[in-house]
Formats: sequence, C-alpha cells, structure tokens
Amino acid sequence: MTSALAAELTRCHACALLCRLPGNGGRGGDGEHAAHGALCPRCGAPLHGRKPQSLERTWAWLIAALLCYLPANLLPIMKVTSLGRAQADTIMSGVVYLLLHGMWPLALVVFVASVFVPLLKLAILFGLLVSVHRGSRWRPVDRTRLYRITEAIGRWSMVDIFVVTILVALVRLGNLATVEAQPGAVFFGAVVVLTMLAAESFDPRLIWDRSEGRAA
Amino acid sequence: MSSDAPDDLGVAEAVVTTRRRPSIVWLIPAVAAIVGAFVAWRTFSERGPEIEIQFETAEGLEAGKTQVKYKDVEVGIVEEIHLRDDLAGVHCTARMVKSFEPYLNEGTRFWVVRPRVAGGQVTGLGTILAGSYIGVDPIRDGTRTREFVGLETPPIVTTDEPGKHFVLRSREAGSVDVGTPIFFKKIRVGEVVASELDASGEFVSIQVFVHAPHDARVNSGSRFWNAGGVQVTLGAGGVDVNVESLASLLIGGIAFDTPTESAGPPAPDGALFTLYESLAATRRETYAQKTHFMAYFDQSVRGLQVGAPVEFRGIQIGEVRDVKLEFDSASGQFRIPVRFEIEPERIANLGMVDRTTRREGLDRLVEDGLRAQLASGNLLTGQLIVQLDFHRGAKPAEIVWNEPYPQFPTVPAPLEEITASVQHLVKRLENLPLDDVVRSMNGTLEAAQGALAQAQETLATASTLVGPDSPANSELRRALVELSDAARSVGLAADQIQQQPDSLLFGREGEQ
Repeated sequence: MTSALAAELTRCHACALLCRLPGNGGRGGDGEHAAHGALCPRCGAPLHGRKPQSLERTWAWLIAALLCYLPANLLPIMKVTSLGRAQADTIMSGVVYLLLHGMWPLALVVFVASVFVPLLKLAILFGLLVSVHRGSRWRPVDRTRLYRITEAIGRWSMVDIFVVTILVALVRLGNLATVEAQPGAVFFGAVVVLTMLAAESFDPRLIWDRSEGRAA
Repeated sequence: MSSDAPDDLGVAEAVVTTRRRPSIVWLIPAVAAIVGAFVAWRTFSERGPEIEIQFETAEGLEAGKTQVKYKDVEVGIVEEIHLRDDLAGVHCTARMVKSFEPYLNEGTRFWVVRPRVAGGQVTGLGTILAGSYIGVDPIRDGTRTREFVGLETPPIVTTDEPGKHFVLRSREAGSVDVGTPIFFKKIRVGEVVASELDASGEFVSIQVFVHAPHDARVNSGSRFWNAGGVQVTLGAGGVDVNVESLASLLIGGIAFDTPTESAGPPAPDGALFTLYESLAATRRETYAQKTHFMAYFDQSVRGLQVGAPVEFRGIQIGEVRDVKLEFDSASGQFRIPVRFEIEPERIANLGMVDRTTRREGLDRLVEDGLRAQLASGNLLTGQLIVQLDFHRGAKPAEIVWNEPYPQFPTVPAPLEEITASVQHLVKRLENLPLDDVVRSMNGTLEAAQGALAQAQETLATASTLVGPDSPANSELRRALVELSDAARSVGLAADQIQQQPDSLLFGREGEQ
C-alpha cells in the first residue's frame, strides 16, 4: 500500500481539498519540507505533506507540560476559608479528603480526571514520540488508537479548573466562607492546555510512515 | 543551473543541507521551565526554619492546618504532630515563615490559644469556630534554637507589653494565683505572672507585672498587700470588713499603694517587695523600730489575743506579740508572760534618742507609776487589751531589764479592783453591831404594841357611842323619819302644783 504522500498527494488542512503535491515525497521522509511554500489552490492555506516539525513541536509541548505537571500537583490549587479557618488543598489532598469522608465515587472522578488522565496523556505522548523516533513497527494500529484516545480525553481534565472557577465565583460569603484559586490551578490548567497542544501537533501518520517505510 | 547534468561536467554535487532552525515552539517549555524554576525558588526561599514545640496535649491541633500566629498574622503552620517516645506529651513540627527566623530564640514562648475562662477574663472566643492556633511571644535577642517547650496556659504578659515586672515575697501564696489582678487605688493595673516557692522553701516568690504607665507608681516605698476575698478582722476595734473589688472577691487580688511621703524614683524592673497579708499589716509595718517587753499577769488573760493593741490613754502604741503560760516549779505558781512590743516612733518627740536614755526615761516613768494592766477593749466581744497608764497609788516597782525581754511591772485589771472593793465592803458589813440594833428594835416594837392596844380601846369606846341602841342613834333615826315625812309632803305638794298650777293661788279644787 502506498501512502498518499508517496503518491505525491496531500490534503489541505484547512479545506480538505486533495491536491497533488510535487516534490520528493517518494522519499518517505518527514514530508515537512517536501513542498515548502506550497499553497492550497482553493483556499490558499499552506500545504504540508505531514504536519510541519511535528515531532519537535510535540516534544516541546510535552516537555513544557511535564515541567508544569510538578507544580500543578505540589502547589495548592484552591484555598477554602471558612469561619476564619483557612485550608489550602492540592489535588491529591482533595482526593484524600473526599476519600476519608466516604465520598469515594467523587474521589474516583476527581482522581481519574485530575491525576490519572493528565499523567496517562503525558505517558502516551511520550511513548508515541519515542516509538516514532525509534521507527518502531510495533502495533501501529494500537498506537494510533492510543493517540486518538489521548486526543479525545484531553479536554476532560479541565473539570478541576471548572470546579475551582465556579467555586471561586459562587462561594463569596464574606467571613463565612471564601474560595480562592491558588497557583496550582494555573499550572494545572497549563498542563491540560499544553498536553492538548502536544497531542494536536503530533502527526499520527508518522507512525505509519515508519512502519511502512521499513516494510517497503 | 542549466539543463545539462552535473555529471557531464564532472563537477561534484553540492551537498544540500536543510538548516533546520529550532522551532519557536521550544520557547514554551523554556518559559515553563523558567516559571517553574521561579516558583520552586520562591517556595524554597520562603520556606522558613522548621521548629519543634513540645506540648502536653495536642488538643485542638491539626497537622497541616493549625497555624502559628503572632498578633493574628500567620507566621507558621503545624506540619506534623507525633507523640513523644515516653508518651508524656506531643511534638509539634511547625514550619515557620522565613521572616520570623530572627525571633526563634530561647526565650520565645509558644502556647495553644483555646477558648479559656481564667482570671476573670474570657479569652480565645474566636477559636471556638475557627479552631485553635498556636500563639507565639517572640524575643529578639538570645541564642537561636529550634526546639521549644510550649506553655500550657497563655502567658499573662507578652514581652512587647509595656510595663514592669516586680517580685513579691510572701510567707504563703494565699489566694494568689497566676492571673490574679493587681490593684492600685482599686483600679486594675496588672497581673500576677508566676508564683513559686523560692529556693529555701520558706517564702513564696510572686512575680507580678504592672502595666505602663502605672508601673511608674511603684517606688521603693510602695507596699503590696493581699487584697483577696473578704477580709473580716475581729479585733479589739470591732468587726472590720474590707473588700477590694467584686473581682478580687472571687479570684483574689493584690493591691499596692505608695505613701505620699515616700516619693522617689520608680522602682527598677524586677525590684523585690514584701507582700503583706492585709492593708492594716502594711500600716503596722511602717514603724521600723520596736521595743519588746514582757509583762507577767496573774489573772486570766481570756480574750487577749496576739495582735491586741497596747494602748496608752486610748492611743495605740504597740501590740501584743505573744501570750504563754508558765509554771514556776520552785514557787509552785502559774504565771502568764505576755510579750508585747512598743513602737517608739508612734510617740511623737519622746525626747529620747538612743537606747540608754530611753531606758532611763522609761525607768523614770515607771517610778512615776507607769504600769501595764489588762483592760477590756470591747465589751461586746470580750477582747482584752494591754493598757499602760500611771497608777499613782501603785506599789513601787521597776522595769527588770532582763534579756531578751525586759520585764514591765503590772497592776491588776480594773475588774480585779472592783472585786477587791466588793470584798472590802462585805468585810465592813460583817463588822457592823447588828445585835444591838436588833435589841433596841425589839424594845421599840414592844412599845408600839402597847400603843396599838390603847388605840383599840379608844376605837371600842367610839363604837359604843355610835352603837345601834345608843340614844344618839335613836334620835338620829327619829329625825330621819321626820325628815322623810317632810320630804313626802313636799313631794305631794309638788305633784299638786304640777297638775293644778293655779292651786297655788286658788287653793285645791276639791275645797271650792
């Protein structure tokens, strides 16, 4: 099976018009610079055989996300002041709090959405990048499926941020109770956004390029 | 480039390298790294020292939540609480803020602020809802330390409080406790900070704190006394009830006053004072000089108490210090030595300066008849006092200048004198010639009897004169009958006139 790139065909990212892309696409390389300066004849968007600098950008986003992941989990994300007693909670301490108070379904939701999913995304992206670099031919279908999962669940991690923002807006009872967002929330939001960007900049076709390249 | 192939010219092909500049996206992880590093640096740079505080109990303390506060500003947070190995208390590990580091010295005190009712005050009410916190009283100077022993009760006075500490020495603590208020002219000006036995175990050292500006009122002449509760003194002067304030009635109190005559510079911090047991005691103690005497009384001293006044013509000049009972086995007699003191300073201008001239002066006074005597101080309570006065007729005596106490001559109490004179009277009565008197009285009585018999006779004669059969009597009766007849006819005439008034003029009707 020949890839579209090998057949010198590419699709506009913007309007999905299938164009013939002249160049050394047959080389089966990244295809990033295969048609440097090529434009879509219909909408004028730049045409790329593959997402430009896909691996590099993904690495960049991923590393940024990893850097933010530490403070996101170590710093408190929310401070609840109730009757003069202030309590700052990190994500994990919130989960523990819920668990200790018998609300384990809620604890599970928070844990999955806020701790497990971001970590899973980081791990999957890291694995995909490494496998592409090594030109692994190991189960390309499964790896593509992993990528799709990563893309799909990315936005759900924002649940925590939404909870914090809603609480901050709603719980303004003066001395009785106040909720304040803490730096952890900023980092956590950054992790979510950065992993989404990383997933976005990764081109899953690279998985197939390598496996087919070797196969060919 | 022309269409002819390079191979044809035998020219080497240029190596085309695509110079890939690093993507601008790398800025993102760089920024993330910088921000992360900054946050990490800030977190660590603000991380203050970790300290350990020992408490007896961790009541109200929660790891990760309980704050350490100074003037209600958070200066640390309890990170860990664990039991001591010997189970005698708890260790609290607290992370302090960095700016507080210079104040973590040996004198710095920590305590748990809980709701508390003590010393007439309610404190820590805010912690009922907000939870307990650890209070701190920082000290700037001293050796740095990281381990502290927490106080079980909040300190009464924090180091930033303006005022002075004083030490009071007392024989016993009485109702004085930590937090007991100090009064000056019945205004609360301070508190007792600590009370403990001193090294010898003989005195109680009470540390008090007097707030500024009242601390300037304390000078070397100031006197502190125990003003706690109700002081009821039942003395020779009657019942004396004294209450400093309602608060002191309940929780005790110490009052102080500075006599106007003892003006001086304010006492330095930590000055030592004596704590008197009462206001009266402070007045007593103003006389430094005391001369002790011993007086032997042979009578009962019931009602004579230690502290009873020694008076001279109604003015107190000293007081009784001791009353004992002695048995002299040689003479087989009991005697009661009463030791009393006289404060010469109470007597203005005695004209005697040193001890020897005073001795001579006293000898002269005793020569003139100065004696000690028990007297009733209060008829109601039966209190006795020792009275000094001149007794001109007293047997000559003199002061026996014994050591340690000179013996003062005594005279019996007025009561004894009365008893003596009554006895004297009875003796006089015994000597009266009662028999003669009775005899002459008998004669008189006989004569009187004769006179009475004569009188009886006279009376009998009188009765015969006016007896029922006597002529006088019958004549009298007749006269009376006639008189009644006359009266009857007058009555008839009166009736007639009433019925016929004209009969007076015209005579009776029947006659016409």
